[in-house]
Amino acid sequence: MEWDSDSEPSGDEEGFLLSDGGPISFNIGSFLQAGPCGFVVTDALEPDQPIIYVNTGFELGTGYRAEEVLGRNCRFLQCRGPFAQRRHPLVDSSLVSEIRKCLDDGVEFQGDLLNFRKDGSPFMNKLRLVPIYGDDDIITHVIGIQFFTEANVDLGPLPGSLAKESARAGDRFQSDLSFHRLVSVGQGNICREYCGILQLSDEVLCQKIFSRLTPRDIASVGSVCKRLYQLTKNDHLWRMVCQNAWGSETTRVLETVPGAKRLGWGWLARELTTLEAAAWRKLTVGGAVEPSRCNFSACAVGNRVVLFGGEGVNMQPMNDTFVLDLNASKPEWRHIKVSSPPPGRWGHTLSCLNGSWLVVFGGCGRQGLLNDVFILDLDAPHPAWREISGLAPPLPRSWHSSCTLDGTQLVVSGGCADSGVLLSDTFLLDIMMEKPVWREIPVKWTPPSRLGHTLSVYGGRKILMFGGLAKSGPLRLRSSDVFTIDLSEEEPCWRCITGSGMPGAGNPAGIAPPPRLDHVAVTLPGGRILIFGGSVAGLHSASQIHLLDPTEEKPTWRILNVPGRPPRFAWGHSTCVVGGTRTIVLGGNTGEEWMLSELHELSLASSIV
Amino acid sequence: MVIKHMIEDDCADNGIRVPNVRGEILSLVVAYCNKHGPVQNDSEDNSRSDELKTYDADFVKVDQATLFHLILAANFLNIKSLLDLTCQTVGDMMKGKTTEEIRKMFNIKNDLTPEEEEEGLIWKNLVVASTPEGEEEFRGENQWSYEIW
Repeated sequence: MEWDSDSEPSGDEEGFLLSDGGPISFNIGSFLQAGPCGFVVTDALEPDQPIIYVNTGFELGTGYRAEEVLGRNCRFLQCRGPFAQRRHPLVDSSLVSEIRKCLDDGVEFQGDLLNFRKDGSPFMNKLRLVPIYGDDDIITHVIGIQFFTEANVDLGPLPGSLAKESARAGDRFQSDLSFHRLVSVGQGNICREYCGILQLSDEVLCQKIFSRLTPRDIASVGSVCKRLYQLTKNDHLWRMVCQNAWGSETTRVLETVPGAKRLGWGWLARELTTLEAAAWRKLTVGGAVEPSRCNFSACAVGNRVVLFGGEGVNMQPMNDTFVLDLNASKPEWRHIKVSSPPPGRWGHTLSCLNGSWLVVFGGCGRQGLLNDVFILDLDAPHPAWREISGLAPPLPRSWHSSCTLDGTQLVVSGGCADSGVLLSDTFLLDIMMEKPVWREIPVKWTPPSRLGHTLSVYGGRKILMFGGLAKSGPLRLRSSDVFTIDLSEEEPCWRCITGSGMPGAGNPAGIAPPPRLDHVAVTLPGGRILIFGGSVAGLHSASQIHLLDPTEEKPTWRILNVPGRPPRFAWGHSTCVVGGTRTIVLGGNTGEEWMLSELHELSLASSIV
Repeated sequence: MVIKHMIEDDCADNGIRVPNVRGEILSLVVAYCNKHGPVQNDSEDNSRSDELKTYDADFVKVDQATLFHLILAANFLNIKSLLDLTCQTVGDMMKGKTTEEIRKMFNIKNDLTPEEEEEGLIWKNLVVASTPEGEEEFRGENQWSYEIW
């Protein structure tokens, strides 16, 4: 029963029942104690009024499931338990006769009847039966509305006993007979014409209607009138809205952002929708990543940035691991001692799965290209890398792209294989399986093969691929093409983002970013993608931020103006996203030496102190 | 439909005129339950669920007053699937609408102070991304600067 228990009993909702003002009506107190109400529909045209529908209130109140009672007459409730054959003697037979008479006469019945649940326990069924007339004034259905209240009866031993039970009915039954009428009253919004929506309770409005709208729609709703303005101030509603709009994985990540609770979901939703708080910041951190290197991979685990491998002096592949905890009061790079590190490499991918696991795949090692998979649990007491021997691995490669699905599956695509061949395949690995197996995603057509592109996950299991150095005939050119694939489909296929198959019509509207590779792509809650950085052809600025919403009817490139000083360089392989709202660019100010004491951060929400 | 005794018509004093046909709501509810009630066999699942989808889509093609009374009824009678269906319909009506469109659609009077109304407008005015036509909406006081890479 969804009563707003703070509201007046002459409440705001039900205007269509209990109108005849008869001497007995339902006490609100017994409503709230009794729990759900039962609702039964029987077919009056079939012999003996078989049940054709019961609601969950009936199931909860009686203990009988719908499947057990459909097709039967309701009188089984007068028997104590499912195995009794006859009506229990304590059931008032004169009431039963009255029911019969009312049904025969085609009028309503109202009364309190002793009934029994499936487990044999008794209850008082405050019952109202209403015949429903069809077109020819013939009764087609009868509906029953039950309120379940306590029955104060002494039944003696459970069914099976043939001993006489002392009948102490009558005065032992509880019945509060105060009078209440349930009328429909407007919620203080007096208008000349009918305004239906404000007749609904806060609970129905928020939980059933508003929670399914997008943050922008809630903002529109909140400006409609005072009542809706108040309702949309509720942070719990905003949490439901964010969860429904962005998915539970994203909301879970956002919850871990320090200061998010102080900001509140309402503000977070607004900032992540309008991007009004987006700004570039510079962070100075301590510690050092030594020996120095380039082409390492960075990845975020919670509020920590992890760095693995890279290319040292003399093109030496490295295999050490560093962690930077941004939650610390004085963040500094720390080399973590881990056992059994993977072979050194650069041009590999580092991804975070299962909350705190780091997954390394591929890259270029001392003896050539790799296709091995190593996992490290950062939160384990003694972190150790272990190799996953995934069966049927993809070709060894470097400068491929990767992303994660559902927090447990690794997706890799493209890259550069031996002898410089560009790849265009897509592989998936579920690391949670006992024996993980690589699975190639079979597709009829793939976009031109490429390296240095990005894969961004949005809308559950959809992936957006952008840019990279792509094969174009005998040449390799920087690309600004956008392709999408939906891995939740039975037969996933790559599509041009506009859905068109015509050459040239596959590009989004608006001004596309200059073609690039090894850029940064960030997925915002709600599915929009931010693109910036990378190696850009010609003299174009790579620091401009481009925004694309693949869920729009007509996806259009937009430019995001962000205050603050952006880094000079931003590379995809050394940029990661912390807490869903902070994009950390490593080594952004220097071209030659990778100094990691100064970081650049693109923050999207003002939740940080 | 003759369910005279179910009709509640009592709002003349507070200025709200309630349509006099709400007795029909119950018959609609009954029809819905009749359609959705019987337990389906597994083998018929697909065609039956398509059939139910069509039925549901047609079922909610009613005027607003009826729709809201159906919500009230489904809520009171605890019929979850009908409540979900009707509420989803109302939600869909609101999607993508501006504040004024919502007011007009649901006949709601604006009783907000100008300050309260302003708050919602800020959401709209602070879209920072520029549109393809070259219109750019700059934010606040901060000048942005960038270097050519």
